[in-house]
Amino acid sequence: MPASRRTLLKGSAAAAAVLSLDWRRATAEAETVRLGVIYDLSGPFAAGGSVASSIGTQIAIELCNERGGVGGKYKVVPVNADSQSKADVAINEVERLINQEKIDIIDGVYASAHAVPLSAKVEQEKRILWITTAVATAVFKDKNLHYVFRAQIHSDQYGEAFASFVTEHAKAKLGMEPKDVKVALIHEDGPYGSGVAAADEAYSLKAGLQIVLKEGYSASAPDLSTLVTKIRRSGADLISHAGYNPDITLFLRQARENGLRFKMLFGAGAGYSQLDKLRATFGADIDNFCNIDPVPAQLLDPAKLAPGMGDLIKIMVERYKAKTGATDVPPHCSMGFNQTWVLLNNVLPVAKEKYGGFDPEAVRKAALDVDIPPGGTIQGYGVKFFPPGTPLSGQNERSTPVVMQNAGEHIAVVWPTNIRTQEPVFPLPKSSIYAA
Amino acid sequence: MDIYLLEAVINGILLGGVLALLALGLNLIFGVVDVIWIAYADIVMCAMYAIYFLYTGLSVPLPLAFLIAIIGAASLGVLVHLLIIAPVLNSAPLNQLLATGGLLFFLQSFATLLFGTDFRNIGVRLPVLEFATIYVSFARLIAFAVGLIGAIALYGFLKWTYLGIAIRALAQDRDIVGLMGVDPRRIYLVVSAIGGGLAGLAACLLALQYDVHPFIGNTFGPVIFMICVLGGLGNMIGGFVASFIISQIIAIGGYYSSTELSYVLAFTFFIVLMFIRPRGLFAR
Repeated sequence: MPASRRTLLKGSAAAAAVLSLDWRRATAEAETVRLGVIYDLSGPFAAGGSVASSIGTQIAIELCNERGGVGGKYKVVPVNADSQSKADVAINEVERLINQEKIDIIDGVYASAHAVPLSAKVEQEKRILWITTAVATAVFKDKNLHYVFRAQIHSDQYGEAFASFVTEHAKAKLGMEPKDVKVALIHEDGPYGSGVAAADEAYSLKAGLQIVLKEGYSASAPDLSTLVTKIRRSGADLISHAGYNPDITLFLRQARENGLRFKMLFGAGAGYSQLDKLRATFGADIDNFCNIDPVPAQLLDPAKLAPGMGDLIKIMVERYKAKTGATDVPPHCSMGFNQTWVLLNNVLPVAKEKYGGFDPEAVRKAALDVDIPPGGTIQGYGVKFFPPGTPLSGQNERSTPVVMQNAGEHIAVVWPTNIRTQEPVFPLPKSSIYAA
Repeated sequence: MDIYLLEAVINGILLGGVLALLALGLNLIFGVVDVIWIAYADIVMCAMYAIYFLYTGLSVPLPLAFLIAIIGAASLGVLVHLLIIAPVLNSAPLNQLLATGGLLFFLQSFATLLFGTDFRNIGVRLPVLEFATIYVSFARLIAFAVGLIGAIALYGFLKWTYLGIAIRALAQDRDIVGLMGVDPRRIYLVVSAIGGGLAGLAACLLALQYDVHPFIGNTFGPVIFMICVLGGLGNMIGGFVASFIISQIIAIGGYYSSTELSYVLAFTFFIVLMFIRPRGLFAR
């Protein structure tokens, strides 16, 4: 039977209504959160932990999307940028993300040397910079930042951990009073290394340790043999070293060749946290070195963390290994994952539900609302940001580092004592080629 | 004399040997072809990767891996000349610089793509030499000796062989040399091969001391370029001497001040010298 004009009109109207409904639903479904993600994917920082951080971030985004997105509704679309281990490139890339890609939230940043100028730029633009990995306290100190946040630890805490560990164990393990312990503080000369060394110096002086050498160098220096000679001359018992790579491998190689001996070396994360890479170069020579950094999540006892954290850690570890083929999961992966996970699960849903959107103002307010107790993240620490008007405005006040020690593939937490998984080996055993 | 100062001086001399070897090839090419290979240190990087994969991946004996790397780098030198340098040989210096600068970025990016950003090393551990509490790196000592022998051999080759004389003649006057029966295009290829081969030789010595990664050229590139300019671009003896001047400023300056400041001192010395002798210490 041929359709009458009225039937046709009715049918068309109904179809249009249905289509319109579908279009509205499709629009709602298509609402996404575009997230700028910036790391050093090339250049010397890439293998120093930046790529590992970026993979951690990538896993967090994928997992969030698999669970429906932010708040179970809004898929996250990462817009990736490579800062190429160069501060000027980092600034240009963030400029591109903000002004061309029209992105309001930028996540990542490995190097403190990039974080310092980027935080000033993003603050000026009133966008959000969510730092996952860079640690320099100088990024926040007395800047009163409103739009920059960091759940990660800050460099002052390295110095605190170093001095606390030494004073706690000097008498019992070294048979020396802290005032008799000679320490050499060496560091790459960017904000990260300088920040850690400044904190080491301040806390060492406070603890009464003898600082016999404090010296910086460029991470791309072709030779560190004179520095090694000067450490030998200083007679240092302990060395605290804040470096990236390849400067760490150059230093350790030249230290061996130039007969440097010490009672312990304390790395400050970065290159020292890339244990599989260091082990490929030095084998057992680096056994029992200490490393201060946020803990790799897989070393923690999931039973002591909030419900669900153990599963997250398991997924992160499995996926990192699958993506990289690595046997070790460095702390940098946990940093990238953890900080991004907090952003996606504890900040953005609140920004949308409570403050009405994903714009910088809403995200900023939501970030200041975050109150995760200790044990509430995969790295064990809680999250609460210092509010504007405080000296470290935007920095997490609940972050904590640990001192780790490795023997072969086994990594143990040896400080803080209340959560340690092993008694520290201190000083280096005589079997070590670096042992004094 | 302070024993530690003596150790710093010795280490400075050994570092000078490494830098001299690197500067040798770059100077030779500039002296003859009159083009600055900004990407020279990245050819060293390519040769270091070749050594790494031959030795650790294919279990090729190390001396043979070194030989293959030197031949490979020499071939790469010829290829660079044919594909990149020859087409811009008569262009403005800026264009030539941009062309070799482009090669630098290409090689670094290509290495990143192929090998990733990981640091790799061949895992060869050479003994440590100790004399009266002064420690000397055996790898550095070898590098110094080879650098010295390489410089002398190159000097002899240029001084006493027919090909060497032809190379020097071309360096002095590229327009006239054709009238003497020398084919400049052939000489350019020979020089590029020798320059590449020297980069390969430097790679053999650096592979014993440094990890290889796509950006290792950035560690040495600026310093060896500064050394070549300081000695007088194209002047091989000048470059050789300048290597030891710079390395001693770094070593002794670092000993008395700080490692950071030693490089500042070296660059300040360079800048001041450029005001006094803009064409370099040994420019004629």
